[in-house]
Amino acid sequence: MFDFADFKESPLMLGMAALIIGFVVVESLFFMIKAWRRGKEIGISTETLKNTVVSSALFSVAPAISILATVVVLASALGIVLPWIRLSVVGNLLYETTAAETMLDVLGSNINTEVTNEADFAAIAWVMTVGICFGLVLVTIIGRFIINKISKATAKSEKSSNIADVISASAFIGIISAFVAQAINGKSSDGSSDAGFMSIMTLVSAIVIFLIFETLCQKLKLKKLEIFATPLSIFGAMAMAVLLNMWLPETVTSFTWWG
Amino acid sequence: MTKVKKQKDYFDSVHIWGRLWSVGALIVLFSLPVAISVYYNAWPQANLVFNALLKLIPLYWATAIIEVITFTPMLGAGGAYLSFVTGNITNLKLPCALNAMEQAKVKSNSEEGEIISTIAVASSAITTTLIIAVGVIIFSPVLDEMRSSEALKPAFSYVSAALFGALGAGYLKKHWKISVFPVFVGIVVLLISPTFGVSTLLFVTIVAAVAGALVMSKLKIVK
Repeated sequence: MFDFADFKESPLMLGMAALIIGFVVVESLFFMIKAWRRGKEIGISTETLKNTVVSSALFSVAPAISILATVVVLASALGIVLPWIRLSVVGNLLYETTAAETMLDVLGSNINTEVTNEADFAAIAWVMTVGICFGLVLVTIIGRFIINKISKATAKSEKSSNIADVISASAFIGIISAFVAQAINGKSSDGSSDAGFMSIMTLVSAIVIFLIFETLCQKLKLKKLEIFATPLSIFGAMAMAVLLNMWLPETVTSFTWWG
Repeated sequence: MTKVKKQKDYFDSVHIWGRLWSVGALIVLFSLPVAISVYYNAWPQANLVFNALLKLIPLYWATAIIEVITFTPMLGAGGAYLSFVTGNITNLKLPCALNAMEQAKVKSNSEEGEIISTIAVASSAITTTLIIAVGVIIFSPVLDEMRSSEALKPAFSYVSAALFGALGAGYLKKHWKISVFPVFVGIVVLLISPTFGVSTLLFVTIVAAVAGALVMSKLKIVK
């Protein structure tokens, strides 16, 4: 499985992976238990708390597989352990790939060529780490200040609380809108997932599957199954993308707005 | 102890522990390049690292400022500290927390929202970490084939469309009046600049959504 003789997959790297991934899991469990206890204290039902755990876990499966696929993409140049670590803590699909590509470019290499020099490998690890750490530094310093400011603004009056609700709901919609707009007419940096027929059909499939499943759950009085609506729509839409690509002519499936 | 006092104690404790864990995460994070450099006696040339960082930092750090300001109030204290340690916020942790709060019918700026968001992010982080770990250990040869499989390529190329279509369906149905404007703004921005980075686009659409919703609320188009 792992080539211990390769410095990229050495016992040191695997030990670091165990340490870092262990840290993330323990921290997550710590906050989950803390929030669960407080949730019970303020009267949130066990069923709601359990549903949150189950639906969030299911929700995360498809994106996690996508992250795993990126780990494999980066593995051809960096070995599998460094991308595994970087995408398990602080990391981000897009940032880690870009950081690795930028450093490799400076070194006169690229993502398809294996790194065989320890100093180059260390340089990539340094760039990935320094590049991504700022958000964590910032939230540690000003996270409390930002949250307290918002709480004070909402506590002032009922009117401002209503405004805060509107801001909160619309901010969520703003996030979704960015990705919906990208699926409608965005352009990816490498041209691999430009918006066009396939992205729009995948988007529409996800929406339609969600609405059908939700309506069925309501009509058949199966409210408990509603937590599966989101993961089912994600996988259903991904399957639809595969099927459309198989069934339709390439001239249709390869159509994008950006040629 | 009063209800308010207990709530304050909980939030104080989350901030204290959140900061401690974040500092711990930074130490663990930097221990990786330090360990590689020390163990292999392989210190990279500073000018090369600096050269690469010069290209990345303006975008990454500016985005980090926007993300912290925009996402922290939505995720709540526990959810934010945990999200910024476990990463993959825009493509996973934030939508996951929003989905959980929507399903539990709680508001993000309430204590209930804080609890649900924290549990959702923690659950997502554990699931993701385990899937990646198991995938790396057991399935990496298969994954390599999956990645190179032409038949499965569309599924992974459009995972973002599938994810946000599924997440957006419930929101767009419930709040369609305030959804049209930010989607329209996003489309126009992408028409002008197609490769606009997602983090910057997020900032634009969030501002558009909030501004649009406030105007509609003022005009009593939405409650």
